[in-house]
Amino acid sequence: MLMPRKVKHRKQHRGRLTGAAKGGQTVDFGDYGIQALEPGWITARQIEAARIAMTRYVRRGGKVWIRVFPDKPVTEKPAETRMGSGKGNPERWVAVVRPGRILFELAGVDEQLARGAMERAIQKLPIKARFVVRAGVGSEPEVQVQ
Amino acid sequence: MAEIPLVAAVREERGSRSSRRLLHAGHVPAVVYGHGVEPVAVSVNARALRGALTSEAGVNALLDLDVAGAHHLVIARELQRHPVRQTLSHVDFQVVSRDEVVSAEVAVNLTGEPLGVTRAGGTVEHLVLSVQVKAKPADIPTHLDVDVAALEIGDSLQLGDIALPSGVSIDADLETAVVVAHPPRGESAEPASAPAEAAAES
Repeated sequence: MLMPRKVKHRKQHRGRLTGAAKGGQTVDFGDYGIQALEPGWITARQIEAARIAMTRYVRRGGKVWIRVFPDKPVTEKPAETRMGSGKGNPERWVAVVRPGRILFELAGVDEQLARGAMERAIQKLPIKARFVVRAGVGSEPEVQVQ
Repeated sequence: MAEIPLVAAVREERGSRSSRRLLHAGHVPAVVYGHGVEPVAVSVNARALRGALTSEAGVNALLDLDVAGAHHLVIARELQRHPVRQTLSHVDFQVVSRDEVVSAEVAVNLTGEPLGVTRAGGTVEHLVLSVQVKAKPADIPTHLDVDVAALEIGDSLQLGDIALPSGVSIDADLETAVVVAHPPRGESAEPASAPAEAAAES
């Protein structure tokens, strides 16, 4: 599973999930992508589950890019512990995702196979997401206004 | 290439609040600059802009922008979009001259079926999705095509291999790889070279 090799601070504040993604909003490497439609935390396990679902469906060929990295530690207090005595222990790593962020990309397969693989990957994620095609693949780039 | 007419209204109010009001009213805030023209904040009708930018000429279409009676020959330079809805939230219009070469970003599309790669289980990686080209405004192509039908595993095509229309030049390193054909996962591109190297070491 993905996690940082080392961190400057072991425990972080939770933060706020407001606004839209500031970067990583376009399919830049592959031909197809999964775009987040809601804000949320995606754990390293969920990222791995989605990746496995995608690669198993594609079987052979194809290349997958993971565009998010779980670099935020989430702490938990042990069960049946009294409150106090400081913050809990780091238990898992999450990626902070805001709407518009491209989570995964896929190339080297046709659109039907990519759509099937990515729909299975979306099932593994805790947020609403959609399948997107890079502008210019298979058709002329289309500008959408309102 | 004939220019597409587009009417723009001068914007008096600036800032995010007035821009949001404009977007809700079906207009897109924009700015006109370049070629010695004093920058002017304008707004254009969203529907008309969509029609202008989805024509055969693509997003680099030549536009005849009417700003309060003054006509400018412009191309859309920078398109800002909403990250989820993909709607335009701001456009830069650059004033150009018909006789002067300008640079523009053009999509690089792959054509043909690389049967030599797909039958062997390999993948074709498209590395360069768009490229900066230099051309007169009327000569800017909508896209550049790269034929990958003859590609075999281990092959690659560079920017220099792209057939360009007359009057168009690429404004980038021509040795940059555009497409690479990778072998199936877990295999190297040249399996025959490994025994040869082992023999050379012994």
